[in-house]
Amino acid sequence: MSGWPTTQHPPSVSQHAPPPSYAYPPNPAFIPVQVRQGFSPYAAPPPPPPYNPYASSPVQSQATTPGTTTNASPSAPVEQPKGGKTEWPESVRRYVQRSFHPENDDASVSRAELEAKLKDTIGSAKENNALYTIDWDNMPLPQALVRADHEAALLKLRHTSLTTPIYADDSFNPRKRKSNDFANNDSSVPPWHSTNSGRSLEDRISYSPDKRVALDDPKSSKFQKEANKRKRRFENEYKAANVASPSPTPPTSGPIVGTSETLEKKYLRLTAPPIPSNVRPERVLRQTLDLLKKKWRKESNYSYICDQFKSMRQDLTVQRIKNEFTVSVYEIHARIALEKGDIGEYNQCQTQLRSLYAMGLKGNPIEFKAYRILYFIHTANRTGLNDTLADLTAAEKEEKPIKHALDVRSALALGNYHKFFQLYLDTPNMGAYLMDMFVARERLAALCNICKGYKPDIKLRFITEELGFESDADAAQFIIDYQGQHLLEDRTEYIAFLTGKAGNLFENSRALAFRKVDIKGQI
Amino acid sequence: MNELFKGFARAYAEQNGYLLAATLSPISPPENPQRLRLILKSSNSSSIKGDIKHLIKSNASHQRGLDHEEIKGWVEVYAAYWNAVGDIVAGEDGKSTWTKVYESWKELTSILIRGYNNFGFEAWTIPCLYMIGKYLRLFAIRSDTERSRNIGDNSGGASLMQDDFDPETEKQGQLRDCEQHLKRIFTLCLNDRAPLEESRKWGIYFIINLLFKTYFKLNSASLSRTILKTLSAYRGDMPPLSAFPKSQRVTFKFYEGVLFFLEENYVEAEKHLVEAWELCHKDATQNLERILTYLIPCRLLTTHVLPTKALLEPFPRLQRLFFPLAQCIRKGDLRAFDVALQEGEDEFVKRRIYLTLERGRDIALRNLLRKVFIAGGFDELKEGETTPVRRTRVPVAEFRAAICMGSGGELVDTDEVECLIANMIYKDLMKGYIARERGIVVLSKKGAFPGTGV
Repeated sequence: MSGWPTTQHPPSVSQHAPPPSYAYPPNPAFIPVQVRQGFSPYAAPPPPPPYNPYASSPVQSQATTPGTTTNASPSAPVEQPKGGKTEWPESVRRYVQRSFHPENDDASVSRAELEAKLKDTIGSAKENNALYTIDWDNMPLPQALVRADHEAALLKLRHTSLTTPIYADDSFNPRKRKSNDFANNDSSVPPWHSTNSGRSLEDRISYSPDKRVALDDPKSSKFQKEANKRKRRFENEYKAANVASPSPTPPTSGPIVGTSETLEKKYLRLTAPPIPSNVRPERVLRQTLDLLKKKWRKESNYSYICDQFKSMRQDLTVQRIKNEFTVSVYEIHARIALEKGDIGEYNQCQTQLRSLYAMGLKGNPIEFKAYRILYFIHTANRTGLNDTLADLTAAEKEEKPIKHALDVRSALALGNYHKFFQLYLDTPNMGAYLMDMFVARERLAALCNICKGYKPDIKLRFITEELGFESDADAAQFIIDYQGQHLLEDRTEYIAFLTGKAGNLFENSRALAFRKVDIKGQI
Repeated sequence: MNELFKGFARAYAEQNGYLLAATLSPISPPENPQRLRLILKSSNSSSIKGDIKHLIKSNASHQRGLDHEEIKGWVEVYAAYWNAVGDIVAGEDGKSTWTKVYESWKELTSILIRGYNNFGFEAWTIPCLYMIGKYLRLFAIRSDTERSRNIGDNSGGASLMQDDFDPETEKQGQLRDCEQHLKRIFTLCLNDRAPLEESRKWGIYFIINLLFKTYFKLNSASLSRTILKTLSAYRGDMPPLSAFPKSQRVTFKFYEGVLFFLEENYVEAEKHLVEAWELCHKDATQNLERILTYLIPCRLLTTHVLPTKALLEPFPRLQRLFFPLAQCIRKGDLRAFDVALQEGEDEFVKRRIYLTLERGRDIALRNLLRKVFIAGGFDELKEGETTPVRRTRVPVAEFRAAICMGSGGELVDTDEVECLIANMIYKDLMKGYIARERGIVVLSKKGAFPGTGV
């Protein structure tokens, strides 16, 4: 196992885990020594996990990175000190995870509200000894519950506003009131919402699981929920607009100039022209970027960072700010997204960068043009590749990162896997994150080639070296992952790979790997 | 203006769609360079509709098949045309923009479409749709170029609500918009349920070709597939392609072929391109050249056939593009191939054939390796054998020497040489296998290089 040039590896290959979906799962039972003892006892390992970067350790990451917009910890319910240590059922843990999954984010529900609701739901379930009886997997998410609260409050407001002062039941339910103090800090939350949290509905919901399930029944309430969501958002914006300008101002078509001084801002997709008081000017955005860079280094909470960057991008766009600062915002977001395997965001940034560079703005066009090529290789986008080639100048083609990417392209085009894997091990910048996405499929293609070309067998070491594996064990594992265990034969001096007996074994996997290139790859 | 409606009446009398379409041309004919200006001058915006109505009635009211409704429709069309002419003439004087021209021409397009939907325009008039559609696309392109020259003031309030800028729509916004309207014409022709003799279905291929051009220009050639899918869903009640004018068939076949070409389906691509080649008029040199641009790379990959001198004779540009490459492939000169490919790269990339031609290197390599095989000569005759058998066990070292020489003396290591050979075997360009332990390649006794006679 000596002599394998680990020193040549780009950092990402040896230090970072590649995005989960593309890597074959490490088999904990598999250690190199056992390889030498023969392969027959190994069963096929489980298939790779579905692509979900959060699945690896969601509880951990959420618990160790408390919500940054508020001080409440998302794992609060789990840590509730009542009655000493509680064994939380797995289903409850899953429920908590789901609640904080960015996919379930709801712009109309603030983090504080969400956490309070979560705490409430789990807390009351515990009090009623219902932790094990509630069907947590079908339990509506706190977002849905909070929305229901809003709805109830709204209805109540409508009924009572004519006769009763809005703040009539202000003193009711002090516990609830307290948790909503967080929400009060959030300027986007209208005032009625913190004072009028719909106790009756909430009480019903918290204690009868059946009705809770019914509430989330997609058939009966999906439409209603959507409608509520829209209504809420509209009301928020309407309110905000009214706060900003008491006398209605005619909509202008020119870029606005922001006046907001808040550094952090949650991302919310615009459905109406933006309001200057909610938009940060470039001066503030520069401070925001510094803050986010620090936070990313310290906390590495991607869903928070991504959200913040999206709101920054939005602020830049609505103010039509297109300068070198804009470039750096997109570049940094692109790099972070790349590192986290968030191809969707990465792509959006790339598109922007391309046109920003085309405007002659300074930045790192070489680095990003190289990524672009690698990405098009990954998605097998010939049109994109052709266009990129057309855009490159002769000088750019000589720049190291771009030359590398172009060499990767031509090596693959000509089936020169030998050269391809040499290039793979020597990838500049963060290109290895992109190459990791298609390296498995290229290994399969190369294996098909080798199996047809070599007879009767070759040394496993040859595969290791030709296909850029870190060790013989990795190479063997790869072959085993694709049902090739019977092709490995332990000989006294070395392990042989019986290419002559492979037939079309890898062809199907190869075809499959080349077919499913998820263009969006969005989280 | 009177002239215009004389033409209109004549077209109606003869039921000649092309004559009718000529009255809607945005270009003054060479024999009457002042046509547009005269039309413009002969009326003004307050009385234009009345004037047109009067002229149509006095010239053509006695025509059969021109009922009241139709006249109403044509009045609208010619009024919109008069408006557009105003913008075109102003543009010629530098007092208008292509964007304005495009907008008014678009208005004309909508009104013409309405004529078919609401005022019962007959199918023989569809050449008007050709005329309108053709120039709609050209004006859109000009408007886009014009707008890209003064960037910054183009996007309206829409982009204010976006999270990011959309550079694509900013660049080709008008052409994208134009595509929408061409699609409307497409639907207008496609959905006509009138009997075939008087159906607008006869306009379908002209419009499809316009859409193809638009999609290729928009860099989204793949959208053409959607059109083809829609078309094939209606195939049952569509006249066969062979019943359409040759000019439309050539264009259609060409684009269909290129579409397959871009999808790397070279076998299908070749079929369609050959059809286009055979239909194409022998004097349409430019079109022939276009077809060959894709047909030659196609053939190179499907049947490994290189273009002959005679074929390229009438096309000096294609000679320049393809001859050096063909030469290198024949000789198996890898280094020269790379150089030739690099030298033509800009042109090749522009025509989207670079990535295909690149694969010609495989053929060059095959030819080189074949030379090694032939140079190896024959094994000594064994007892009982009468015909000599070529030496089929070739040391990898010999291939390596050839590849190093072919690469201009660059040292290629043994592993890479094996990799290249494995590729040849995998692609069925070579028959045999590598015995790595012994460092030899064992080639098939029969047809080691399929299709090359050895």
